[in-house]
Amino acid sequence: MKHISPNLVAADIPARPPTRRALAKQQTREKVLAAARRLFSEEGYEGATIRDIAAAAGMSTGAVFANFSDKSDLFREIMADDMESLRGAMRDAATRGRTLEDAVLKVFMAGYTFYKSRLQLARAAFSVSWDKDGGPTLRGLPSSVAFHEIFAEQMDAAVERGELGEEAEVKLRAQMLFDTYLSNFPQAIFEGWSLDALQSRSRDQIRIILAGARRS
Amino acid sequence: MTTDAESPPAASPPARWSQKEATRQRVIDAARDLFDTHGYQGTTIREIARHAGVAVGSVFTTFASKGEILSEVMATRLAALCAEIGRLSPHIHGSTADRLRTMFAVHFEFEARQTRLFLAHVAAAYDWTLTPGAQPYGRNAHFQEVIKATLARGVAQGDVRSDADPQEVVDLLMAAYAWTWRLVITESADVKAMIAVMDRQIGLVAGGFTPKS
Repeated sequence: MKHISPNLVAADIPARPPTRRALAKQQTREKVLAAARRLFSEEGYEGATIRDIAAAAGMSTGAVFANFSDKSDLFREIMADDMESLRGAMRDAATRGRTLEDAVLKVFMAGYTFYKSRLQLARAAFSVSWDKDGGPTLRGLPSSVAFHEIFAEQMDAAVERGELGEEAEVKLRAQMLFDTYLSNFPQAIFEGWSLDALQSRSRDQIRIILAGARRS
Repeated sequence: MTTDAESPPAASPPARWSQKEATRQRVIDAARDLFDTHGYQGTTIREIARHAGVAVGSVFTTFASKGEILSEVMATRLAALCAEIGRLSPHIHGSTADRLRTMFAVHFEFEARQTRLFLAHVAAAYDWTLTPGAQPYGRNAHFQEVIKATLARGVAQGDVRSDADPQEVVDLLMAAYAWTWRLVITESADVKAMIAVMDRQIGLVAGGFTPKS
């Protein structure tokens, strides 16, 4: 999948506008991605076929394959896009926290808010990530690891401030916080929990996870 | 099951019932092996029927969906596991954290006999074709009750805060347990590695429920 975005072309050769061909290709990709996003949300990862995605985008399967090597490639691209935006939103949220607990809670809420309008896509991602073949592809995405770092950075800062003790086991605790954040998604997906309900549950969970690390 | 002479004359329902039961058992056995080999997405009802040596139609007379078959497979396994824990529990001593560690270690060792089957069980929780009869991972109350009983014993022996919400602790432990399995996917972790990570996570959660001295 070697694709050069028009922006990149423009940046390299400032004087020349993107070629019509490059623009058309970019538009095709975006159309396919939008159609795929919708079908993955409606049918799940297994249920959505490349043929249906092509039809929904109003093009041939050949045209889809000219831009994406397969379905997992398409799905990964959508997830990578979302994770990148989400990571930004979470980082912003973290800086607004007054205490460690507050910052971590705000990071959780940034995630639940981001996915509120795309819960079915999250559901498809969970289903893929627990598949022994599909899992490694998704989990290997660089930004998925970066989520742990957001929590770890907040805890490192709290250790420096003296809010947490030196023996805070930051790495494991960051992992647990992320897992806990993820573990609340079924409530949102299947039981329709509101953001308020998720917030109050998360607050209690975060408190328990951080309690042992507090400087006494 | 034997019938005595007083029973009403043998009628077709019991015979049909036992045939249905036999089909059900064959389907469950075949499904357990197929899920463990091919995962949740990779296993079809058609394949299950073929391996069980029954018609696809008769699978559907017993189970509404693939997810329901998997639920049944897991429920059967869980019954065996609970028996194992029941046998062990009188012999488990020590702090609440240590007792929890032992109980989770037993779980890991048990499920690790068929790793992929367990992963299929978790994956199925997000399946699109799930029917109401299916009971995916995380919605089974039995193990949660065992953990709550352990915590209650901890409150009695003084190493669990009495104001700690048992359901919250259970949820955290169950989340940690499920997600520790991802190490199989991401790092091909073996059962010893998973237990070691879980032990540390239980330690962190225990930090949250231990009374401040």
